[in-house]
Amino acid sequence: MSATGTIFEIREFCLHDGPGVRTTVFFKGCPLRCAWCHNPEGLSPQPQLLVNPSACTRCGACLKVCPSHDACAACGACVAACPQGCRRLCGRRVAAATLADELREHEPFFARYGGGITLSGGEPLAQPDFLEELARRLRPIHLTLETSGYAAEADYRRAALCVDLLLQDLKHPDPAAHLRHTGAPLAPILANLRWLKTSGRPFVVRIPLIPGVNDSPATLERFAALLEDAPGLEGVELLPYHRTAGAKYALLGMTYAPPFDPLAPLCPPDTAPFSRRGIACRVM
Amino acid sequence: MTERIQRLLDHVLDGSHHTLRRDVEWAIPFHTLAPSARAAAGLCAVLAAERPAFLPGERIAFLRTVRNLPQLYTAEEMAERRKSAFYAEKGCVFNITPDYAPTLASGLAARRAEILARLPSADDRARAFLSDALRGIDAVLDLADRYRHAAEQAGLHELAALLAQVPRAGARTFHEALQALRILHYALWCEGEYHNGLGRIDQYLFPYLQADLDAGRLTEEAALELLEEFFISCNRDSDLYLGVQQGDNGQSVMLGGVDREGRDAFNLLSRLCLTASCELKIIDPKINLRVSSATPAEILEAATQLTRQGLGFPQYANDDIVIPALIRLGYAPEDARDYTVAACWEFIIPGCGMDIPNIAAVSLPAAVDRAVRTADAPTFDAFIAAVRDQLAREADRICASLTAVSMLPGPFISILCRGRVEAGRDVSEGNRYNNFGIHGTGLSTAVDALAAIRQMVYEERLISLPQLAALLDTDFAGRPDLLAKARFGVPKMGNADPAADTLAAALLDLFADTWQGRRNARGGIYRCGTGSAMYYIWHAAELRASPDGRLTGQPFSANYAPSLNVRVKGPLSVVRSFTTPDLSRAINGGPLTIELHDSAFRQPDGVAKVARLVKYFIDSGGHQLQLNTINRDRLKAAQADPAAHRHLIVRVWGWSGYFVELDKPYQDQIIQRVEMAV
Repeated sequence: MSATGTIFEIREFCLHDGPGVRTTVFFKGCPLRCAWCHNPEGLSPQPQLLVNPSACTRCGACLKVCPSHDACAACGACVAACPQGCRRLCGRRVAAATLADELREHEPFFARYGGGITLSGGEPLAQPDFLEELARRLRPIHLTLETSGYAAEADYRRAALCVDLLLQDLKHPDPAAHLRHTGAPLAPILANLRWLKTSGRPFVVRIPLIPGVNDSPATLERFAALLEDAPGLEGVELLPYHRTAGAKYALLGMTYAPPFDPLAPLCPPDTAPFSRRGIACRVM
Repeated sequence: MTERIQRLLDHVLDGSHHTLRRDVEWAIPFHTLAPSARAAAGLCAVLAAERPAFLPGERIAFLRTVRNLPQLYTAEEMAERRKSAFYAEKGCVFNITPDYAPTLASGLAARRAEILARLPSADDRARAFLSDALRGIDAVLDLADRYRHAAEQAGLHELAALLAQVPRAGARTFHEALQALRILHYALWCEGEYHNGLGRIDQYLFPYLQADLDAGRLTEEAALELLEEFFISCNRDSDLYLGVQQGDNGQSVMLGGVDREGRDAFNLLSRLCLTASCELKIIDPKINLRVSSATPAEILEAATQLTRQGLGFPQYANDDIVIPALIRLGYAPEDARDYTVAACWEFIIPGCGMDIPNIAAVSLPAAVDRAVRTADAPTFDAFIAAVRDQLAREADRICASLTAVSMLPGPFISILCRGRVEAGRDVSEGNRYNNFGIHGTGLSTAVDALAAIRQMVYEERLISLPQLAALLDTDFAGRPDLLAKARFGVPKMGNADPAADTLAAALLDLFADTWQGRRNARGGIYRCGTGSAMYYIWHAAELRASPDGRLTGQPFSANYAPSLNVRVKGPLSVVRSFTTPDLSRAINGGPLTIELHDSAFRQPDGVAKVARLVKYFIDSGGHQLQLNTINRDRLKAAQADPAAHRHLIVRVWGWSGYFVELDKPYQDQIIQRVEMAV
């Protein structure tokens, strides 16, 4: 029996998700609720219907095939029926074995030209058994895992040991602010980070820079302090907030209402707190 | 870039030199003259009317001050000529790359002497041709003398000294060679030829550069500055060089590759050309780069730095595929190794090719469409046979329209083509290669249509061929289910799906089969290709909906690329799909086109990663590739506010132009192809 999981996208030719050219697979479902999330379709673990009405001609084909007009069960019947491609079923239940076969498609490319597969999300660690089996089946391809670190210690360690590189996201160094902006406590993440630092496993830290939330010099200083004494730390990547982050909410019938001003100017990303500590830092 | 180059660039980009131009009324009784004499009279008149002018700070002269060329033939005369023979496009010599090197080396005076020596023993035809060529040479020398004089008067001593040497005598330095090349190229446009290629500039100019460097006369930096000035000079008059769209002017250069003996020929000048284009970010000259599986990563990365600028340069051609394929078509090995591209991407041989590589185009979706409407095909195999018949009929029809093919003479361009002076014949009468190229438009649309027909008509039996024909006429009215199926429920070319890609291989083979073995009216053969030129708009307009779910009015993809209504998985899958067919059978040219979002280059290592995609394409047996770096939002903003985006450059079909100068259908098609890329 192969473990089954839910993913929402496979993206080819990703150039910013690890070494070389990557295929990135996005796991569906995330325990965090970051106010700036730009992949809202990754939040719910359930398959969801995405509707882009901009090309809709009101032909009615979707209504004709819908078996449950009152409550969408994300069955996908309307997706195949829409001639304008307005609808997409976001979320696919798939066995690790099947997914591994699909992802192996470009293995010869990775072997010859460099690169591999990146497991991202959503939060891949929300599906730890699926993740572990998938990783095992994808070997010897180079694997990168991107995670919030919000996971049980055992799951985190198990996952970290079955990939080559960890992209460890950090959202805020302050416990109260972290809880307020992500809906999750910081402590489990810091515990996993502590282990990661001592493990010697190679990792990169990614910090989304959100205006007025975590972009102040003092906050960056605290981030940097958290990352001292980490022999496996390859560097820090700062990801300035994109104003297009809210674009996908409407497709899901959700509203993007971040509790910060998304148009506020960002403090110019300051890499100094990191470089002062000998940590390579780049702005993405 | 130096400050001087920046000033020259600004000057040319803002077009302030256009005020130097004037319209001339031509009063020449062309109708009394024989065709060759008309060309000579026209060239002489234009050059005589030209007035020397210099841009501030320039070190390479020659600028068009006469806006309009004389009309050598009235519309009635051309209509009369076209009754007895086919004349491609405007009728004159176009889309070839002459061999500038011998004339650069010897100078026009030596070419003049050579012609004079041949005159006494020449037959009547040769005497007429050679005399007309002489008049052209004299007119060029006269204008160069007037330029020299004007330079002296203006105190431009360096230019005056330069023009005292070239083009009369042979060039001795890199600077002189660039000035002489500028003059020869300029004269071609004045004779009325167009899409005048510059060819393997890094090969024929390299000896001058090398000699200067060896002698300590020039540094690399100084050489780059001169080269940049030459590149800018290609943009001085290019708004007068009209093609189908502004920017479609055929000023192509080809870098790298192997020499005529097969030795690696990428050199310092190749690299300087890449750097110059990178720094200048202008649409001319159009940069092509020959590569192979042996090309080092470092060169691909240098080229990708240019891709990053968003000009659609370089366009890559793969020697591993192109050279053997040209040899198979009958090109001599040393000529095949010397290939360049015509205006866009058609592989031609500089100096000795008088191919007409864009003489006609076959709409592949139209062949499928006619089969849908006429075939009595109980099986899909029978349907494919019907498509083959339609392709063969189209080939018959095209050949029947080309039983007599003529060209208007160009005595001056002829002396820059190999063997013409010796033969005493104008190049318009032919040269070593006289092959005709046939574009194949809309391959991916045709393949997707075949995949839809196979599945919907033959496998799932959802609809019959006559019913499908009726649906195509009504844009699938009343059947959104079948439209949805056609668009999203069948395999598509570009997703590395063998179900579609094997159809692509089969269709391209059928296309090649229908042209193989046919001889053309000028003693050459036909070569088919994967290019579309502007036919991706024109042919699409001639067709209603197609079985892949493309509706009336929607364009095809340009050249060799996934259909515009297909969501592709990504560039790796596109490369896999588009290298499945045997491209050596369609070697007229026509690049796979991939658009990359500019965020690919957000980090410096993006260059190395994109270069690996190029390498993958080469190693997989692709023939020609163009990578475009664009940003949809910027294109939309440019459409809304053209004035603020005057310098936004895009790749169109085989050339790069300023986005805001394109007609809207071309703009829209580019936006549409980008939307699928993000």
